[in-house]
Amino acid sequence: MTASLRAETTGPRPRAPRRAAARLWPLAALALLAGCEGRQSVLVPAGEDSRVLGDLFWVMLVGAVLLWIGMNGLFYWATRRSPAAHSQYLANWLVILGGILFPTVTLGALLVYGLSIMPDLRATGDGPVIRVTGEQWWWRVEYERADGSTVTTANEIRLPAGVRSTFLLDSKEVIHSFWVPSLGGKMDMFPGRVTEMTLGPERPGVYRGQCAEFCGESHAWMAFEAEVMEPAAFEAWLEAEAAEARPPEGALAERGRALFFAQGCGGCHAVRGTPAVGQVGPDLTHVGSRHSLAAGRLGTSVEDFAKWVANPGAWKPGAEMPAYAHLTDDQLGAIATYLEGLE
Amino acid sequence: MAEPGRDDRQPTAHEDEREFAEERESLWRITLGPTIWAGHFLICYASVSVYCFRLERMFGMEGLRLALGALTLACLAAIGWIGWRAFRRWEVWGTGEFSNPVGNAEDRHQFLGHAGFLLALVSFIGVVFDALPLLLIGSCR
Repeated sequence: MTASLRAETTGPRPRAPRRAAARLWPLAALALLAGCEGRQSVLVPAGEDSRVLGDLFWVMLVGAVLLWIGMNGLFYWATRRSPAAHSQYLANWLVILGGILFPTVTLGALLVYGLSIMPDLRATGDGPVIRVTGEQWWWRVEYERADGSTVTTANEIRLPAGVRSTFLLDSKEVIHSFWVPSLGGKMDMFPGRVTEMTLGPERPGVYRGQCAEFCGESHAWMAFEAEVMEPAAFEAWLEAEAAEARPPEGALAERGRALFFAQGCGGCHAVRGTPAVGQVGPDLTHVGSRHSLAAGRLGTSVEDFAKWVANPGAWKPGAEMPAYAHLTDDQLGAIATYLEGLE
Repeated sequence: MAEPGRDDRQPTAHEDEREFAEERESLWRITLGPTIWAGHFLICYASVSVYCFRLERMFGMEGLRLALGALTLACLAAIGWIGWRAFRRWEVWGTGEFSNPVGNAEDRHQFLGHAGFLLALVSFIGVVFDALPLLLIGSCR
């Protein structure tokens, strides 16, 4: 056995599995980098706040790399290039310059830079005021309009590009954290205390937001879509969102509507313009026009609605909404068609 | 005259007692710098917190900023004075001795100066860092 091992090591080496795995590292790294190109990355900023945070990240990264190289260079010099004892004079000055002066100046400069960008990140909003309440595990979203009325929706935030929107953040039961990495930093949401943040999106597009504070078993599924729109498109959307729900079109949707009320869905959900006025769950008035269902958990096809209604807990463990598994596929399909039509 | 087996660098018990009494004062004086730093931090933190939580809507922040700015300058001046006294006690320029490993009175005197000077330096930097938000942010946001 030993002889055969020895023979193997002296001959041309066969490619060991570990080497093959090592070749996969660059691919894995590329896959990770691809994540940075996504719609949930601070490194691909879509707003003034995330741009500032991105710059901060690069400044810190370049600084850390330079320091790392410098420290390791010194270490190399002291142990390999010049391993003999150094003079007391040199050592004293190394401590004074490298141990006191340099860190003081560097940390001071970083502190001044960090503090100087903070007022920009906390500038007052000049755009819409949006109240977002964290629930387990979804987002209640209310737009405050100039006339004093509010437009309620859920699990999706739309913002006009080029102005700073104000967010009034609150929570119902536990601490959540509101974060759209492509647009800016995060802010915690506390039960019983309203926190305020502003975001200044610049580039229209659809970005992903995520709860960033562990809030229970479906914390990871508590996401939302944030769409940045041209100001005129935003105003048109808000006007449409304020309108009452569309009546169902077609016999299947009509049947779905009847089932929706027969099953008591309106006890928890509101569909404005109908007798459904429940406030426990998300407002469904225009649920069919959203980018996702169940706070980013599913798409918005008829099948997705049916899957969700049949068994919410399968998609979002711990969700308060009960399963409607007793409904037949036809009945689920009818409800799903009604909901999908609520655009 | 050296006793056999005795380390010449160390003082006798009698010398020790006499000299130590003299150093008592500078022993507690080296804590002055950090104490001023701690007080400055506490006053800044508490007053800005109370202002932002209770008083922001009643009046502007300029008065508070000016008062804390004046306090900062006073603290820096005090720490600078303490640091200068400690630096002179250290006598590093005169003796050329960076560290003071010997346990006699003179070395102990210089060591307390050395320690006091470094603590004053750290406190000075700490007070400057604490005061930067007042200068650069200047609001409750």
